[in-house]
Amino acid sequence: MTSSRNTSLSRSVDRVTGGILGLIAIVSGGLVLVILWHLISGAWPAIEAGRLGLFFTDGKWQPGSERDPQFGVVPMLAGSVLVTLLAVALALPVGLASAVFHRFYAPPALERWHRRMMELLIGVPAVVFGFWGLMVVVPAIVRFAPDSPGQSLLAGGIVLALMILPLIALTSQAALQAVPAAQLQAAAGLGLGRASTILSIALPAARGGITGGVLLGLARAIGETMAVVLVCGNIPQIPQSLLDPIRPITSTIALEMGYATASHKALLFCAALVLVLFCALMVGWLSFRKSASDSGTGGA
Amino acid sequence: MTSPDTSRAGETAPCGPPGCCGSSNLCIADLSVHYRDLTAVRGVTLDIPEGEITALVGPSGCGKTSFLHSLNRLTDLIPGCRVTGSIHLCDGTEITHPKADVLELRRRVGIVFQRPNPFPQSIRRNFEIPLKEHGWSQRDIPDRIEQVLREVGLWNEVSDRLHQNATSLSGGQQQRLCIARALALDPEVVLFDEPCSALDPIASGVVEDLIHSLKGKLTVVIVTHHLAQARRIADHAAVFWMKDGAGALVEHGPADRVFSAPADPDAALYLSGARG
Amino acid sequence: MTTFSPSPVRRSPSKWPDRALALVGAIATLLSFGLFVWLVWDLVRLGLPRLSWTFLTAGVEDAGRSGGIGPLLVSTLWVLLCCLTLAIPLGTGCALWLSEFVRRGSLLARLVTGGVDLLASVPSIVFGLFGMVFFSQTLGLGFSILSGGLTLACMILPILVRTTLSALEALPADLRPAAAALGLSKTTATARILLPAAFPGIVVGITLGIGRALSETAALLFTSGYSTRTPESLSDSGRALSVHIYDLALNVANGAPMASSSALVLLAVIFVVNAAAVTLAESWLRRRLSFS
Repeated sequence: MTSSRNTSLSRSVDRVTGGILGLIAIVSGGLVLVILWHLISGAWPAIEAGRLGLFFTDGKWQPGSERDPQFGVVPMLAGSVLVTLLAVALALPVGLASAVFHRFYAPPALERWHRRMMELLIGVPAVVFGFWGLMVVVPAIVRFAPDSPGQSLLAGGIVLALMILPLIALTSQAALQAVPAAQLQAAAGLGLGRASTILSIALPAARGGITGGVLLGLARAIGETMAVVLVCGNIPQIPQSLLDPIRPITSTIALEMGYATASHKALLFCAALVLVLFCALMVGWLSFRKSASDSGTGGA
Repeated sequence: MTSPDTSRAGETAPCGPPGCCGSSNLCIADLSVHYRDLTAVRGVTLDIPEGEITALVGPSGCGKTSFLHSLNRLTDLIPGCRVTGSIHLCDGTEITHPKADVLELRRRVGIVFQRPNPFPQSIRRNFEIPLKEHGWSQRDIPDRIEQVLREVGLWNEVSDRLHQNATSLSGGQQQRLCIARALALDPEVVLFDEPCSALDPIASGVVEDLIHSLKGKLTVVIVTHHLAQARRIADHAAVFWMKDGAGALVEHGPADRVFSAPADPDAALYLSGARG
Repeated sequence: MTTFSPSPVRRSPSKWPDRALALVGAIATLLSFGLFVWLVWDLVRLGLPRLSWTFLTAGVEDAGRSGGIGPLLVSTLWVLLCCLTLAIPLGTGCALWLSEFVRRGSLLARLVTGGVDLLASVPSIVFGLFGMVFFSQTLGLGFSILSGGLTLACMILPILVRTTLSALEALPADLRPAAAALGLSKTTATARILLPAAFPGIVVGITLGIGRALSETAALLFTSGYSTRTPESLSDSGRALSVHIYDLALNVANGAPMASSSALVLLAVIFVVNAAAVTLAESWLRRRLSFS
């Protein structure tokens, strides 16, 4: 950027401003490192005491037990992963189908309203979802399966699905909107019916955007605390069925941090590190895909 | 020529309105295309002869593309677009009838667009999707693909990479692919909307030769800005011009006559290069 | 009339796939719409009866089973203000630096952007842990509004950086050369021309950040505390509205009606805030388009 008559004064002013702003930027960018460092130092006592191995090999999570303390993270990890996958499995068909409906079957006004409603719903706090889940979803499960406690993997999956549904619906809608008109025109010119156009042309073309939305939903769901802590049942175990209670990592941290002893706390920090790793990997994969598709696809 | 069931509702006479004689494939009567608040083209009456190449020429904005798109009801896709008047295929099928089977119509009247638009899937899928949709059985499809690719001269170039993405082909190859894709459905008419304008001169020449070779096999309607191209390949010509704020047909007839001695003064000015 | 061999007998395309798809889509739409209506309806049914001016101002009684949420609204507001006081300068400054003072693809820019993106991926409970260790313990703030607000600031920082950055990038391309041609220093150009021009977009981002901060619960659990009294200073512990809903749902028997009322208030505030963001964004977009 060339400026013809920059006086040396304004140049030094700019340097100072650049310096201050640069400092702010480095603080912002470095914050995640600070967080990581604190997590690691919080987890350090456990690592030092050689518990890290047990963290991954112990079968149960009962760190406070005096009789048989076990520090296995696997049950909670399983809980987190399973409830997340269930949520996506429930939210994806519904979100995608409604996006397809609004893009190809509904009048444009309806599509606008659908999008506005989804945009509003994305702002609903997780704790409200969790509360409603406790009030409505859990008793409904008990009604259908009277022997089960109600609070379960299924309840968590349903509540989480509700949470990420607007996200998936919106990203799917945007992805379908971004299908080049030329392709839809080509499909029409060939006499392809609407269903074939959607299934053979539009959905494959929108696949990238839809997958991106799913990954975002996955990342959001696995990091969720409030929506699951109230409805999952809070028993750290690998579920044998949908109706078994579970306890994701996030719930464990939220529930136990308040009363954990020092060594117990360190393990909770380890759990937090595992969680952060998962989320960071997913987001990293997302932005890698995005930058690959931005540079990879050229024109026809 | 295959004979799909064409006794559609809306049939008036065996060959459409009076004046549409037996050698025409498409009879257009008083066709107008309106968008929400403007009229793109008004009152076009034209017979498109079967098996020959008819060129639609005229300056930009005279509604040639709108007119072309109404011939296979692509205008239905545009919200707020209204088409008045009638179009008949020579077996009596009324294209403009509200209850016409639009999907079958578009198989019979194919279209190739200005910019090549192959599906970003494998070359094979580009053919399988429309062929399956219109009822070809999986058994017959590979032969069909080879047949049309040979027809457009692409078989030798792509026969060993049918699984590759169609967008990996060059612009000229993609356009020939789109032509083959339209031909695969065994159409009676193929519409071309300035098919060479997005191509380099060499590819343009190849596509032009290909279109010329279709003469006699099916009816071609081609919109083009290149008068030289029209002179080279057209058997019939129709000249469009702006009249009263909308496109209109000002001259039509055998290509030699229209290009050498046009009757309409505006057409004469356009064709001599003085205006437009 | 073609030279191809006659096509074998074909069946014409069936209408059923299209109808089935339409049906599935309609059901999905009704399902998602219906579930949300059900949720709001339940909240309204349980919570609306208790909504009143008294509810909004009275103190918390009987562990939240009666009384109101007055002190909690105050706490929530203070936490929000603390959050914004840190987040806005930090977010705007970082975005300005990325947009105006450093080369786009440079290593430092990419590192900072990567760091902010990673920050966005951190789950809220982990922010809560961090806040507990860093703000409450290391910095000695204990359970306090300040601690909670600063933790939330870290959480919404990525939102502010991203939206401010896109607001700056959306500015007309000739604005910066014009300022330079007038001999303005980058600092003056940024402060006097760019920031005011990007202001609407920045406000939209801040509004989005506010909406996010208001819905946060997990990050506040171990930082701003549980106290239900009206906080008297920033170092007092104070319970945010979202935490109150959590507590009523988890720990308090018969707390559901009050939780519903609180949820309604929270939802109303968030809806208003998000609607404001959307409206602002649309009017900003309309204004920009009318100028170009």
